[in-house]
Amino acid sequence: MLAVSFTLGAGAQEPKLLEPERAFSFSVRPLDPATVEARFAVAPGYYLYRDKLKFALAPAALAAPPVLPPGKVKDDAFFGSVETYRGQLVVRLALAAPTPGSTVTVTAESQGCADIGVCYPPQRQTITVALPAAGAGPGAVVEAAPAKKGWFN
Amino acid sequence: MARRTTIIAVVITGVLALGAGLYFGAGRLGMTAEERPSAATLLALTLPDPTGKQESLVQWKGKLLIVNFWATWCSPCREEMPEFVRAQKEFGGKGLQFVGIAVDEADKVRQFAADIGLNYPALIGGYGAMELSRTLGNRVMALPFTVIVARDGSIAHTQLGPLKDEQLRAMIAKLI
Repeated sequence: MLAVSFTLGAGAQEPKLLEPERAFSFSVRPLDPATVEARFAVAPGYYLYRDKLKFALAPAALAAPPVLPPGKVKDDAFFGSVETYRGQLVVRLALAAPTPGSTVTVTAESQGCADIGVCYPPQRQTITVALPAAGAGPGAVVEAAPAKKGWFN
Repeated sequence: MARRTTIIAVVITGVLALGAGLYFGAGRLGMTAEERPSAATLLALTLPDPTGKQESLVQWKGKLLIVNFWATWCSPCREEMPEFVRAQKEFGGKGLQFVGIAVDEADKVRQFAADIGLNYPALIGGYGAMELSRTLGNRVMALPFTVIVARDGSIAHTQLGPLKDEQLRAMIAKLI
């Protein structure tokens, strides 16, 4: 009588969607004692909202608000003209009080969607990296730890 | 917070009671009403509306219940909701009940509900609601996510991503 389909998990009707931390892979690379490079690698078919991106550093604060590159303008039916990022997004973060050889924790808040018609809740991701010693070259790229749900409350 | 504690308790119960069955027993067609996972966890939920008044989903048990997880920051969610409003208006008298669970702040929910003339309850689930939706099949915890609960309390359908108008109408016609 109630011969309806029941679709859960990897059911036939469910779109193949990535976990948010895979759709929006976050990594940090220390460039020099005063600068770290934050990067989002956005998977094909996904996008991040420019105006939802926030970065913070600890214990040293940001020397200045980070300069976000211009995004691709998207005409959203509800949000009007919004800027979005696809592919690689690289943002340089300058430390207010650099201490060569110390560690810095980079926190990124982001929110994005998939073209298929779903959106992910805002994410907060944190990466701690060691700053290079004075005169040393850039450090290694550190990827965000997977699967830790960083929701705000 | 009490609300958060409640949600966590519900989620834990849900995982224990339903999780294994949902993940390993679902996706097969032709299950009887007894075999399909029940929506007991969902119906056991009590959440505040934007004014703070607590509403229990169990009050709509026996109706064709369509629970939509959404948020104001989710454009595809906003896009499909006017059709829900139309369906609620058309079939509400015949036993259809939409309930929205917003992963959002009360003020924003209240404003959006007024903007589109929302004619069904919009409850505030917070991010804990997303954890609950995962136990119901929202593997990546994205929005919109919709659960259709048949009158017998079984979950008739879950949908990650927007429900197409014709799909919604067909489900209502079959289950009302």
